[in-house]
Amino acid sequence: MHDTEQTHPLRVPKRMQQQVQLGAAQAEQFAAAFERLAAAVDTVVLGKQEVVRLALTAMFAEGHILLEDVPGTGKTTMARAIAAAVSGQWRRIQFTPDLLPSDVSGVTIFNQASGAFEFHPGPVFANIVIADEINRASPKTQSALLEVMEEGRVTVDGRPHQVPQPFLVVATQNPVEMDGTYRLPEAQLDRFLVKLSVGYPVEAAEIEVLRGTHQRSPEHLAAVVDTDTVAQMAEMAKHVYIAEPLYAYLVQLANATRNHPQVAVGVSPRGLIALTRAASVFALSQGRSYIIPEDVKALAGPVFAHRIQLAPDAAMRGATGAQVVADAFHQVSVPLPASAA
Amino acid sequence: MTAIQRDRPKRSGRRVRYRLRVAAVAASLTLMCALAGAVAARVYHGQLLYLLVAGAAFGAFAIGFALRNRPAFLAPSASLVGLAAYLLAAIAITDDGADPLPATIVDALVNAVPRTLTALIPVEPAPDTVVVPVFLTWLAATLACEFAIRYGRTLLGCLPPALLYGAGLYLVGPNAEVGTVSAVAFCVLAAAALAVTAAPPERRPDTDAVVDGPAPSRAPALMGMVATAAVLLAVMALLVPVAARLVTASPGDPREYVEPPQLTDIDLNPLVRIAEWSKYPDQDLFKADTSADAWMRLAVLTEYDGTTWQAAGDFRTAGTVIPGSGDASYSADVEIIGLGGKLVPAAADPATVTGLPIAVNLTTRCLLTPDGLATGTAYHVDSALVAADPAAAENARANLADAATVAVPPGTPEIMATIADYIRTTYDTPYARAQGLADFLGQHYAYNPEAPSGHDLPSLGFFLGSPVDAGGQRGTSEHFAAAYAVIARLIGLPSRVVVGFEVPGGSSTVTAGQGSAWPEVDFDGVGWVRFDPMPPPDAVPVPPEDTLEQMEEETPSPEEDSGGGGEAEDFNDESLEQDGDFDDALTEDAGGLPVWVWYAIGVLLLACVPLVLKARRALRRRRRLTRGTPAERVAGAWAEVLASAARAGVKVPGHANAEEAAARLATLEADIGPLPRLVNAAAFAPHAVSESDADAAAAVASDYSGRIGHQVKRWKRFLT
Repeated sequence: MHDTEQTHPLRVPKRMQQQVQLGAAQAEQFAAAFERLAAAVDTVVLGKQEVVRLALTAMFAEGHILLEDVPGTGKTTMARAIAAAVSGQWRRIQFTPDLLPSDVSGVTIFNQASGAFEFHPGPVFANIVIADEINRASPKTQSALLEVMEEGRVTVDGRPHQVPQPFLVVATQNPVEMDGTYRLPEAQLDRFLVKLSVGYPVEAAEIEVLRGTHQRSPEHLAAVVDTDTVAQMAEMAKHVYIAEPLYAYLVQLANATRNHPQVAVGVSPRGLIALTRAASVFALSQGRSYIIPEDVKALAGPVFAHRIQLAPDAAMRGATGAQVVADAFHQVSVPLPASAA
Repeated sequence: MTAIQRDRPKRSGRRVRYRLRVAAVAASLTLMCALAGAVAARVYHGQLLYLLVAGAAFGAFAIGFALRNRPAFLAPSASLVGLAAYLLAAIAITDDGADPLPATIVDALVNAVPRTLTALIPVEPAPDTVVVPVFLTWLAATLACEFAIRYGRTLLGCLPPALLYGAGLYLVGPNAEVGTVSAVAFCVLAAAALAVTAAPPERRPDTDAVVDGPAPSRAPALMGMVATAAVLLAVMALLVPVAARLVTASPGDPREYVEPPQLTDIDLNPLVRIAEWSKYPDQDLFKADTSADAWMRLAVLTEYDGTTWQAAGDFRTAGTVIPGSGDASYSADVEIIGLGGKLVPAAADPATVTGLPIAVNLTTRCLLTPDGLATGTAYHVDSALVAADPAAAENARANLADAATVAVPPGTPEIMATIADYIRTTYDTPYARAQGLADFLGQHYAYNPEAPSGHDLPSLGFFLGSPVDAGGQRGTSEHFAAAYAVIARLIGLPSRVVVGFEVPGGSSTVTAGQGSAWPEVDFDGVGWVRFDPMPPPDAVPVPPEDTLEQMEEETPSPEEDSGGGGEAEDFNDESLEQDGDFDDALTEDAGGLPVWVWYAIGVLLLACVPLVLKARRALRRRRRLTRGTPAERVAGAWAEVLASAARAGVKVPGHANAEEAAARLATLEADIGPLPRLVNAAAFAPHAVSESDADAAAAVASDYSGRIGHQVKRWKRFLT
């Protein structure tokens, strides 16, 4: 009997049942809170519900967001709106070529009055950090964000300083004006859980934007959730149930990107973990306490595409990471019952 | 981590069992392909083709098996290369080296099919006759491996070897014994392959197994298998003997539909050669080194249309072994000097011929070489000498089984009928009449090598009836043999004319003077007996009219002529042939049941197939929707919906998730409601599925298949 439970894909093993801690009610509560937050951001960023929800998904998955689009599409506005909707600290850093790492992380100064060195935290010490036009800073300054994005702390003069939790970096970059910019290295791109493109709003939304330009500023947005709630919701996402066949499905997807003929470097295990975390949050945001393949498919593009390094000839031909991800989904069978092999 | 470690031995054991099953299927199908290929090898000479087809089956399957996990295009490509290499090897092995290998390869590939079909049994394993069976065996093994091993469709994998088996039977036709052992072995192997893969759902590696519900418990399953086997055995025990009695006809022989080798004029009417040979008796025709004295036959002529004597039947390409011959007791090495044409001299009955491509006339058992004889052509022939026993022939009746051997064309000269009457009234038994006719011709007619050629009825009438002064009553063996054969038929004796040579034992050169024609008469149970109607050397012929006029004076009235007394047996009484023990009674009683009943049973069984399929589908649906946990039932409902959509022509690709599948299914304009959500829950959170969910899913599945029923093609609705 025990064997049957272990081998049959539609019977939940006892060890797996013990891991399932979230009930439908909790998932509904999460979805409601998530929707309140998204709706608040939607009042400022019009017509971008999907991007807003993906960004919030990344936030609750304790990941960081890279917003890439042409100037004026609302990248910074959305970042500021998310920050304003969460009643925590938020800071904005305008990255420029002469920005120094200490301008980001903070500096230790000798206090003549006290006769001791004192640490003055940089703007990175906030719950939400908006790194505007991050690709304009030098690689040295960009790399100042590496440690804090991955570990949530800053080390200055050999002393670690913890940043407040939750901690979210929302970076923006402009893909068209490349003069005087420094392309983010792959290692740093991998630190961002999702890379999103805001895009132009649809016509109706754009008209609505014009009608209420002054009223829709992030400054007027009241906080909807506090940082504690965000931390609790992020913790809930770690207990979303993932069925055994989905693990294999996820790994097969990653392998498909790695073995793709147009790809030089496929998705890393870190990317796979990121997708799992993001899918967990996405499932909860839909009021579900378990992941389904639709969650994976919804997030694979934003999570995987920027982590895929295309082969030079494929890049020359105009191939994109999103196309590779789409190909991967066509190669891997969904672990549904009775699906064709 | 502990759980993973616990799973390893279990997964490993399952993998081993799976590999064992695959290996068993591969072995079974390989043997099936080899057996199927060997069906045709039964009509080949020697064991070589058995080895070649077995190698082809093994080679093709080995390539397919080795590449089973590689991309699908790779195995056929590699198999194609392997086939080419194997065919070249087979051609090289069977090549006799007479021609350059490239020419042999091209010739074999171009002419493989017609030569395989025209080759006479037993077929000689030559490059052009092994290509077809080797190619078909390789093809069948490749397809079987692809179907059964790569795609896991064992039943479909059995189809290519089964078709190959059928093709082999067709090629063999009626020329081999019934291969019961190989047929049983073939069926056993197929059953083994199917049984090995007939795993219960939870052990099947495919995804369908999940939704087919739990397997029935062991006892009912075992009882079901035993009951099914018992029913099958009972049906076979009842039907097979009856069906076997119904089969009275032999299978058709494809060789009957093949164009035979073409003959030249002198081969079509070889009797005209006698005049030339008689006129120039010293010309050398061929050298012969024989083991004994014998008559070597060039042609046997059984059909006479009033103008020419011709051979019956067609020539068929044969190998070195001539089919249907006995043990060779006579051998001859022949080297052609001046003999032309395509007909090959050989003593009756030829058993083996080497050194020459040969076709044989199965009716007369004479030989022909398609390329024709030329000076220097040499060959060796072994024959089983046929020596009819004259003592046995004396009391035998004429063999009237073949109407062609007693057929007489209209317009026979009166002299022939007169001689026939004379012989019939003078002699009682068929043998006495045959010998009497030979004696009559030998005593009353003269040999003249200068006599003009011709054996049409007017010429024979001139030979028999014209006065000596006018050039009649003298002729060559052409006239004697032809006249004898026609008169014999008028008497009621089955006759034929043979053209050949009298060849002494040892080494000698056969000249045209040794060539002659002679008549033969067929006696029941004895065979064809040669008669010599030629006059003895230096004999003075008696005018035939003297003997015939005397006969007319002595002829008794019909009432007095009782054929040698009332107790004498009438050897020409056809009613005696009706012994009542022939085939009619057998054919009337065969089977016990009229044939239409069996056709009706066959139609009924065919009509049952759709019903069985429908019942199977209904049972599967019931099992899917009602058995198992709620999650299993939801999955079963999903499978039912996909199956219904597939029947209606909409197939969902494997990479589609539930939402995408639902979008695809929506093209059938039938809503599946909450089923995608439920199946996602069933597959990825089985604990979240309740009984009500399962019931709802079952309702959706039933409703969906009902609503799209009209979109299923009519024939599919009817048959499945």
